[in-house]
Amino acid sequence: MSNGIILALIGAALATLLAGIGSAKGVGLVGEAASGVVSVDPSKFSKVLILELLPGTQGLYGFLSALLILNRTGILGGNALELTTAQGLGFLAASLPIAVVGLISGIIQGRTAAAGVSITAKKPDHNGKAIIMAAMVETYAIIALLVSILMIVNVAV
Amino acid sequence: MSKLRMKKIELIAMLTDSKKIIELLQRRGVVEICSNNDEELMDTNVTAVIGEFEKFRSTAAQALEILESYAPEKASLADMLEGRREVETDTFGKEAMKLEKVMNASNDIIRCSRLIADADSSVSQLNLKIDTLQQWSNLDVPMNFKGTATTSAFIGTVPFPTNAEDMEAQLPEGCSAEVISLSKEQTDLFILCRKETAEEAENSLRKLAFIPLSENDRRTPSEVIKDCRMEIAKLEEEKKQAAEHIKKLAEHRDKLKFTIDYLQMRKDKYEALSNLGFTESTFILTGFIPEKYCEKLKKELTSKYTVSVTYTDPAEDEDVPVLLENGRFSEPVEGITKMYAMPSKADVDPTPVMSFFYYLFFGMMLSDAGYGLVMTIGTAIALKKFKLEDSMRKTLTMFRNCGISTIFWGALFGSWFGDIVQVTAREFFGKEIGSIALWFEPMTNPVKLLLFSYGLGILHLFLGVAVAFKMSWDKGDKLGAIFDALPVYLIVIGVAPVGVSMFTDVDPTLKQIGLYVMLAGIIILVLTAGRTSKSIFGKFFGGLYALYNTATGYLGDILSYSRLLALGLATGSIASVINLMGTMPENKIVKLILFIIVCIIGHTANLAINLLGAYVHTDRLQFVELFSKFYTGGGREFEPLTVNTKYIKFKEEKSHE
Repeated sequence: MSNGIILALIGAALATLLAGIGSAKGVGLVGEAASGVVSVDPSKFSKVLILELLPGTQGLYGFLSALLILNRTGILGGNALELTTAQGLGFLAASLPIAVVGLISGIIQGRTAAAGVSITAKKPDHNGKAIIMAAMVETYAIIALLVSILMIVNVAV
Repeated sequence: MSKLRMKKIELIAMLTDSKKIIELLQRRGVVEICSNNDEELMDTNVTAVIGEFEKFRSTAAQALEILESYAPEKASLADMLEGRREVETDTFGKEAMKLEKVMNASNDIIRCSRLIADADSSVSQLNLKIDTLQQWSNLDVPMNFKGTATTSAFIGTVPFPTNAEDMEAQLPEGCSAEVISLSKEQTDLFILCRKETAEEAENSLRKLAFIPLSENDRRTPSEVIKDCRMEIAKLEEEKKQAAEHIKKLAEHRDKLKFTIDYLQMRKDKYEALSNLGFTESTFILTGFIPEKYCEKLKKELTSKYTVSVTYTDPAEDEDVPVLLENGRFSEPVEGITKMYAMPSKADVDPTPVMSFFYYLFFGMMLSDAGYGLVMTIGTAIALKKFKLEDSMRKTLTMFRNCGISTIFWGALFGSWFGDIVQVTAREFFGKEIGSIALWFEPMTNPVKLLLFSYGLGILHLFLGVAVAFKMSWDKGDKLGAIFDALPVYLIVIGVAPVGVSMFTDVDPTLKQIGLYVMLAGIIILVLTAGRTSKSIFGKFFGGLYALYNTATGYLGDILSYSRLLALGLATGSIASVINLMGTMPENKIVKLILFIIVCIIGHTANLAINLLGAYVHTDRLQFVELFSKFYTGGGREFEPLTVNTKYIKFKEEKSHE
């Protein structure tokens, strides 16, 4: 196994790890707030569930980027390519946007959504506004994902 | 289309007809009643009556809630979508007569549930008592036994483990100790001594920190435990009977629901009455009514009662409520507008403006024909099979339309449950099928789709600017309308070739022309944007500031449309990964079984999560990018006096539509 392949693997691992941690933390934050609301009014479960799911996408984006790296480098198919160190570093760099932004935006989106849970609790009809506010944060995760994908797809192998 | 024109209604009629007229208006549900603020007219005080209705209603609601927890209604998903039960108007009258019987049943249910709660707390107290007495169960004398004529007895606990001999050694001569129970922390003892040495024994026991048993009961501990157990059994039986009784009363469920709705209606009616103005023999009602219902309502009212109905245009400063009405294509998206805010008086209804792009963007973000098919078929079945509430019907129709758009985009991008067609052909039939995209696969050329997304985004934004232009134009500010819209168009169109050239080759002359167009836009903007300022400096800096705002604002807005590509890519790639995971094993039969399982679970999860994503981000593109160009919102939704029921509805309720 070449150094290049190991670097690409580290990239895939980072994307899954950091973005996953961010989402786990974010979803957890909302879950804690949501449980309080559901304990008082169980009928709000579906509404707060949507809020809880919102910070979950970062982990998914990280997972997606990792799979794209594994796919591009041939690891997924079982025939790993012989990558140079420079190419490996290219994949590692490509994983960074979604890894780092996924980690931080996941947590922050979790906080925003957790605050939005109180909107759902007090004014259930305005639930949509809470969703939109949390979705604002996601924009930056999406941009990071886009850049990561563009980089992964365009690293010359 | 869009916002309905509102008229002000003034209705004067005989006092004797007041309840009947209010009832009629409630059935029709087209009038929003304003509260009377003419001080010369009398008010009625119906607070007491309203309170009475509310009291009964909440009793019935409480009873229904109890009923649901003891005898839950078996409700399938189909029932939930079914909507409210339909009731004929005459049945309504008949059922309303049975009010007293239903209220008795409610009180009965509430009484039973209290009985159960009381029994529960008694049982837990008894259990506690049994627990504490358990350690004394070996004691075979009454718990308040103090001794016989010649002996004294001490029953109690010392806070350390010990045995009979050790204890006897520490007590005066002739005392006998018996260990009832022993644990690491304490020893329960029965000590017997002669009357003469009782005082001495008591002193020695005190030194050992002996705590006497403070039960003053003539029974032995095991008798008490037995009695407690019997008591518990009795209470459990009572509980069971009460629960049975509640279950038996479940036959009243429908009547309870009916009563709750009936009382709610009566309450609403009386609240409406409290808004009227009265004279000795007449009453006056004022309110808002959509123009298109005016004639019909007037005809109906005048044919039945002695009334005078007049319609006027609402005054400028009046808080006129808003009711939206749109055609079949845009109507389903009304819910999205409402989620943001109802249009205010100065706004146009944004629903028809955004509906086309709403469907388009939603489809592009989900962009998988297989998922689109699932959505379309699922919602179409639901729409056809169930009698749905209005808002539910609109939402499902919206998702059906979005589903169709998803199929369209999915087919263009060749994504059917990811690459399931290619995978099945390769793994099970050994054939390689290339792309089945009608246009191209985004993964092979993401930059092309990115630019396309920005293009769509620019069209979307231009539409918003155009609406703002038309609003200013119609208001009479024709020059302002041009100066606001034109520079934006020129700058964005001018910059576009430069932007595109960062990704791909662009004809240099096109770039050159773009540059001039952009410059023209910038000059117009800087010269005109500060036109409201009085001083020359204000005009100049106002212009520069507007330039800065336009540049950063529109750049951010356009880049925001990247999500069209990103979310679309995410759906397709995850779907393909699911297919890949399903085909890992070598053995064909194992592979087939695994493939089916993984596909069902994986694609369901992927569809759910991307559906949420597409919905949320389509909303965002409308709210943030489009609405900011022309829409403020803040209107009040039209809230007519209507039959506001939870469980039932009237057959003729829809007659006004």
